[in-house]
Amino acid sequence: MHPLRKAGPFARYCSDVKSSVLVTLLLGVSAALAQQPDQNPAVRHLIGLESIKRNATGQLTVQNGAMQFKGAKNEAQISVAVIDDVFIGSETTQGGGKTARVMKTAAIAAPYGSGHVLSLLLRTKVDILTVSYHETGGGLRGAIFALPKGEADKVRDKLVQAGAHTNPAPEPKQAGKP
Amino acid sequence: MRRNAACFLFFFALCWMLPTRAAEPPKKLSASAIQINLVEVGNVEIPAEFRFAIYECLIEQVRKSGTFQKVFRGGDHAADAIPDLVTLHTTVEKYTEGSQMKREVTTVVGATKLDVGVTVTARDAKTLLDQKVSGKVRFFGENLGATNDLAKRISKVLRESF
Repeated sequence: MHPLRKAGPFARYCSDVKSSVLVTLLLGVSAALAQQPDQNPAVRHLIGLESIKRNATGQLTVQNGAMQFKGAKNEAQISVAVIDDVFIGSETTQGGGKTARVMKTAAIAAPYGSGHVLSLLLRTKVDILTVSYHETGGGLRGAIFALPKGEADKVRDKLVQAGAHTNPAPEPKQAGKP
Repeated sequence: MRRNAACFLFFFALCWMLPTRAAEPPKKLSASAIQINLVEVGNVEIPAEFRFAIYECLIEQVRKSGTFQKVFRGGDHAADAIPDLVTLHTTVEKYTEGSQMKREVTTVVGATKLDVGVTVTARDAKTLLDQKVSGKVRFFGENLGATNDLAKRISKVLRESF
């Protein structure tokens, strides 16, 4: 006899609920991922800009001799003239933004550790752009951003064209482990 | 007679222990300002973003802790005028790259670890503090999260020493 049949209607009901919760989570994550526009990729500020919060998303542009990060609430600017170097790295991390993070946390409750499958589904490769620059007083600063794969090179090229000082680009490191 | 001998032994033991107890609390260092230099890597291969993330997290955490009245960045000329300035040097000794996916799927493997040597020097280059500190991210979070953990631990060491 099937164990659920033996356990009774309540256990079957619980099992159905768990399954539907998991399916809903997966659909939600897919929808969240589908919402990311390809034409206008969002950049995530990891650390380094004083007026911008960590993990704030926004647009990174290079124009009028400055690199500008425009978030939803604040914006910050780094003059190209004060940039000492630009580094590019890469990492495999979780995609889907805050929605996916919340769903992943909720999925911990899914039965038999099946929620962990979300970690596999939500993998995404990102470029890490590190801009080293100095303040007017000489203090060293570093701003770090996560960009969609392949975008960091474009930003670096724009910065170089605008006159930013960079050391010869080292061999790009292979993608970090997810 | 026996009671007198016991009393004598008790007082002798007490007198012997008192000076050692008084010597136990470590003497705290004092400085009004600290300058934090960029992390040195030596021969350890570590991505540039980790160096700068440690540096930025350190500045953030040390400022937040309130241990020093002023926290200067490396290269800041304003620090030159501070007489009792101390300088924080950090050197990466070991870096183990982990995996966010492995951590979250298995919860056992895939930790990112960072071991650094922390040195605080005075103006005359005298070493005031020399300690090893480790930072890691074990379960949730990106690999760069190890830098935040490390900065918190270094900030704690500074708070306990100053």
